[in-house]
Amino acid sequence: MLSPKAEKLINDYFNLPFKGLSNIRCPYFNNARRRGRGQLRALIGKGTPTEIVEEAKILSIQYHYDFFDFDGRCKLCGESKDANEITAQVRKFLIDNDLGIDCSGFAAHVLRAYFRETRNIDIFSRAFSWPVGTWIRRIIAKLRPAENLSVRVLANNKFSELISDGRKPFDYAQLKPGDILTMLETGPQNKRNHILIVEGIDAGKISYIHARAWSVEGQYGHGVSHGEIEILTPERSLLDQTWEELGKLNDTNETYLEAKNAKVFEVRRIKL
Amino acid sequence: MSCNPFSPQLLDQALLYLICSAVGAFVLAPILTKILYKYKVTRRADYDFTLQGERAQKVGTPIMGGLLVIIVVTVITLLFNWERTYTYVPIGAMGISALLGAADDLMNIFGRHRRRRRSIAQTWTLVKVHHNIFWRIYYFLSLPWAAFRELTGMLGSHPGKGIQVHEKLILQFLAGAVVAWWIYFKLGSHWQTINLPFDGEIMLGWWIIPIIIFLVMFTANAVNIADGLDGLAGGSLLITFFGLTAVSWTDGRAAFTLLNATVVGALIAYTYFNIKPARFQMGDVGSLGLGTLLAVNAIAINKTLLIPLFGFIFYIEAISVIIQVISRRFFGKRFFKMAPLHHHFEFRGWNEEKIVMRFWLVHLFFVIIGVWLSLH
Repeated sequence: MLSPKAEKLINDYFNLPFKGLSNIRCPYFNNARRRGRGQLRALIGKGTPTEIVEEAKILSIQYHYDFFDFDGRCKLCGESKDANEITAQVRKFLIDNDLGIDCSGFAAHVLRAYFRETRNIDIFSRAFSWPVGTWIRRIIAKLRPAENLSVRVLANNKFSELISDGRKPFDYAQLKPGDILTMLETGPQNKRNHILIVEGIDAGKISYIHARAWSVEGQYGHGVSHGEIEILTPERSLLDQTWEELGKLNDTNETYLEAKNAKVFEVRRIKL
Repeated sequence: MSCNPFSPQLLDQALLYLICSAVGAFVLAPILTKILYKYKVTRRADYDFTLQGERAQKVGTPIMGGLLVIIVVTVITLLFNWERTYTYVPIGAMGISALLGAADDLMNIFGRHRRRRRSIAQTWTLVKVHHNIFWRIYYFLSLPWAAFRELTGMLGSHPGKGIQVHEKLILQFLAGAVVAWWIYFKLGSHWQTINLPFDGEIMLGWWIIPIIIFLVMFTANAVNIADGLDGLAGGSLLITFFGLTAVSWTDGRAAFTLLNATVVGALIAYTYFNIKPARFQMGDVGSLGLGTLLAVNAIAINKTLLIPLFGFIFYIEAISVIIQVISRRFFGKRFFKMAPLHHHFEFRGWNEEKIVMRFWLVHLFFVIIGVWLSLH
């Protein structure tokens, strides 16, 4: 398991801290299509759970959606509706208003919380030295670290060290919570990058967390998610193990397919 | 026109102006309300997040109530306090800003949606791809204008139907320039100094021109920003102009004492009708006009440095917007739950009356400090 504060943060993404509401899983949102610039980070898929909740409240009041009042309480709860229906409505509201988190934003906040607690190091404080390009980009990264800690930066040798190529077998026992599985140039057009965070290793199972949108989940089903890789054949590569997420195994598991299709699939550890 | 400081005759005259102005405004208010209702110059729910729950009843409240103050002050000054040296430029600058505000108010209600601004990126693309070389040159030359529009657009909230931010700033710049011209060229070198409390005066020379333009523009917009809750801008302006009347009187500046007293009288009537539940709201016509008048009068009575105290709550509200924009654009986070500051407190659960009354008291305190500093 990751540290208590990191786990609390993960739990907040899985149960967004709305007053009087539970089980609202943070949806996935990627700014690549919308291309919002100079926006609030909660609106470009890089916000913390608290920021996403606060923004939902503000948008609801500002645009008369009537979901929340000024105290942040959900107005739907008093309408004797089914809890699942309320959850679905609130999630639809979040998704329709571009509120959610993308994979690198989720990883950035979780890893920051983890290393702040375990190593007393704030990874955001080193943003100026991240491999993001010109010095102007580095200044921007310093100002807006969560938005600039992309999968490419996380997978860069200056930021993290390579443990193993994901397509080759390695000693799975050396994996630790906080390690990352990076996938570069994946997806249907090989334009996407993705990242998973290793949450724990227990009894031959690697559990991971990430933010993703599977095609089978449609417009409103996506969000942060847990998954497991069961190591049944330690002498073989990660892609030869059993990947399970939402009850889907290997070739029906889109996370596995993303890893399999990625041009670069690596297991890495953040350099501190 | 000047007379002895603390002159009882001047005080007597100022009180008479105040009373007449208040009576005039009280008489005019019902007529104005009727006219505003008749022509449906009323508040709409579009883009107005504050019109929720209990506050939904504000939909349909007339706006442009600030006309009451503008009309009464202009008429009384024209008839009884018209001096080419002292009062015609403050009234003129107020008039220009009020006209700008009126145009904005009316366009917001009756206008069509404005066409989307062409961004710098779109303009640059046209420079590269347009088939006609002359259009390419035109688009290239218009790049600075596109940059100005985009930059100023960041300061605005919703590009609605009214006058857009960059247009507003240009017109306000003109109003500020008129005032700067008047003070620099017409009033003489004595007016190119700034009074430093406890420390005499410093000569600014031509630097006074950009300072005046900036202060007029900033103050007008600051009052405009603060006009978001029933009674907030009206009550605060009442306190401000009361302070300015007191300072003008203690300095023996007769024309400004009478002008400020006239504004106080009109604002008493305005605020009476504007406190919750408001019979009408100020609108840009009043907030921009009175904001300009505030700045001009304070500069003209040589209290330029004390404007942030006399307009304390307006400046705080405007600064809260600037902080919010910087925080949003540079750091991607909200500094306040919402800007301007009164909306932040609304999101914190304060009710409207609590916010307005506390803001009045805080403002009063700082105006008192301003008056005290003026005496030194």
